[in-house]
Amino acid sequence: MQIAVSGGKGGTGKSTVVINLAIALRDYFDLTLADLDVEAPNDHILLGIKLQNEEPVKLFMPRFDYFKCIRCKKCAEVCEEHAIITMKDGTPFLMPTLCSGCGACQIVCPVEGAILEGKKLMGYTYLTETPYGFPLVTGKLLEGEERAMPIVVAAKKRAKALNKELLIVDTAAGTSNTVSKALEDSQLIIAVTEPTPLGLHDLELILKLADIIGIKTWVVINRSDLGNKDAVKELARKYNARIIAEIPYSENILKSYVEGKPIVLSDCEEAEIFRKLAEEVANYLR
Amino acid sequence: MQIVIASGKGGVGKSTVAASLIYLLKDRYKLIVVDADADAPNLHLLFGVEKWEEEKELTGAKVARINQDTCIRCGICYERCPYESIKLVDGKYVVNELTCEGCGVCKLVCPVRGTITLEEARSGVIKKTTTRYGFPLISAQLDVGRPNSGKLVTEEKEWAKRIMQEQRLDHMIVDSAAGIGCQVIASIGGADVAILVAEPTPASLSDVKRVYKVVQHFREPAYLIINKADINPGFKGLYEFAEQEGIPILGEIPYDRAIPYSMTMLKPFVEAFPESKASKALKEIAKAVEDEILK
Repeated sequence: MQIAVSGGKGGTGKSTVVINLAIALRDYFDLTLADLDVEAPNDHILLGIKLQNEEPVKLFMPRFDYFKCIRCKKCAEVCEEHAIITMKDGTPFLMPTLCSGCGACQIVCPVEGAILEGKKLMGYTYLTETPYGFPLVTGKLLEGEERAMPIVVAAKKRAKALNKELLIVDTAAGTSNTVSKALEDSQLIIAVTEPTPLGLHDLELILKLADIIGIKTWVVINRSDLGNKDAVKELARKYNARIIAEIPYSENILKSYVEGKPIVLSDCEEAEIFRKLAEEVANYLR
Repeated sequence: MQIVIASGKGGVGKSTVAASLIYLLKDRYKLIVVDADADAPNLHLLFGVEKWEEEKELTGAKVARINQDTCIRCGICYERCPYESIKLVDGKYVVNELTCEGCGVCKLVCPVRGTITLEEARSGVIKKTTTRYGFPLISAQLDVGRPNSGKLVTEEKEWAKRIMQEQRLDHMIVDSAAGIGCQVIASIGGADVAILVAEPTPASLSDVKRVYKVVQHFREPAYLIINKADINPGFKGLYEFAEQEGIPILGEIPYDRAIPYSMTMLKPFVEAFPESKASKALKEIAKAVEDEILK
């Protein structure tokens, strides 16, 4: 089984919700948490742990054997990213930052061995045991690399390979195709929002995406006392999404966030919100 | 001059700070503003934009389609798709358009010519308006589930440059997306100066360090603004980072609960609550921006 925690806008408290929910859910399931916000992965920081078991994510990148190359330009013509340019005589050159690693050039090359398999480092995945009884898989895009998708794919694969009863996925902000990739195969999406016009605008996008993919969505309103909740409720009704929890603005949560000590483990009253949320999720999945 | 505002992490108040800075600078400088967060644009909300003067559709993104009538169900496309975007549904191979990157590998490996085609898909829109404050704003909205492309941001910036020439404007302020991916790279590339916004938390520090590496890649001078500066008094990480890298700090903004309220009013914070402590800090920062960057 898989659930995802998402939310259109960054900074709405998605990571706070996901780590506390994961800790609360360990009482119900044997689980894995996957941080697929590969451009800004922070779950390990909030859990107060150091990333371990680094594995590189390498992508195919063409390497030309200029002795064998017949200058037919087919590789350049087929490249959807225009990452291969050719000189007048047809000699190909690669612009590595544009290359998506799809391997189309190698497929069309008519000369065996003229395009060799180079490797480009795109980022890393990590598998870290947490002190909370579940492993965390993290994807991390290398600074300067543009493509998040291969890292999301690699990290999700590594998390799935652990074969736990439940996979909890933390997605990036927004609704681009890397978010769809993270959401894929979920039974439930928990969308975290805040009751401001900005939060509302972005919540609608994630509800739209969930609707297109056809995944049931629940809404968590964070900092619920700082704005107008009615608009969130109306939007949730429009998309048939249930509002499952409200988290008021809280100094305690802020404190736990900056200290890397999950609030659900404390005896603050806020912890109860996450325990209740976990119970709802468990009931839904069982 | 082109100034990019970036943070690495979402939610640290980058757009809030950007909107207020722009508000404070708008009367003394001829500005154009670009919201480069096409995934979750929000400057138009902060500036109370009600209608757009011009919209352009962005195509260019491609998605694969499989013709089920000629497909022989060999599964080669399924095996070779680099992004696992082809699924087997009821014995048929179908493309998941929400994760397809449009690379065309499936089309190349398909043994039946013409069965898989690459089709143009709309990736989003870019829009232009003149705000009630007089300066033009370019924004964008990516369609749900489309690849998040730097090309979109590049198009926005090209449009902004044309308007700058027509209207003889001096400065472009680009509000970048969170993260470090292609949109952010396209936002930072070509800028003269980067202003980084961070909050004193380990998560924000980790992300701002990552976006700073991208800024260094383009060899642009960087400045730092510390938002919510008082939420974590014991945390010295941001100051150490700034000192180590020689990044000047333009100023610090205290946490102010009025900021989320100003958002519900659809106004820049300094306009909604000019006498608040956060607004006073922002006025100091605007002065520092004038003295250090726009001098």
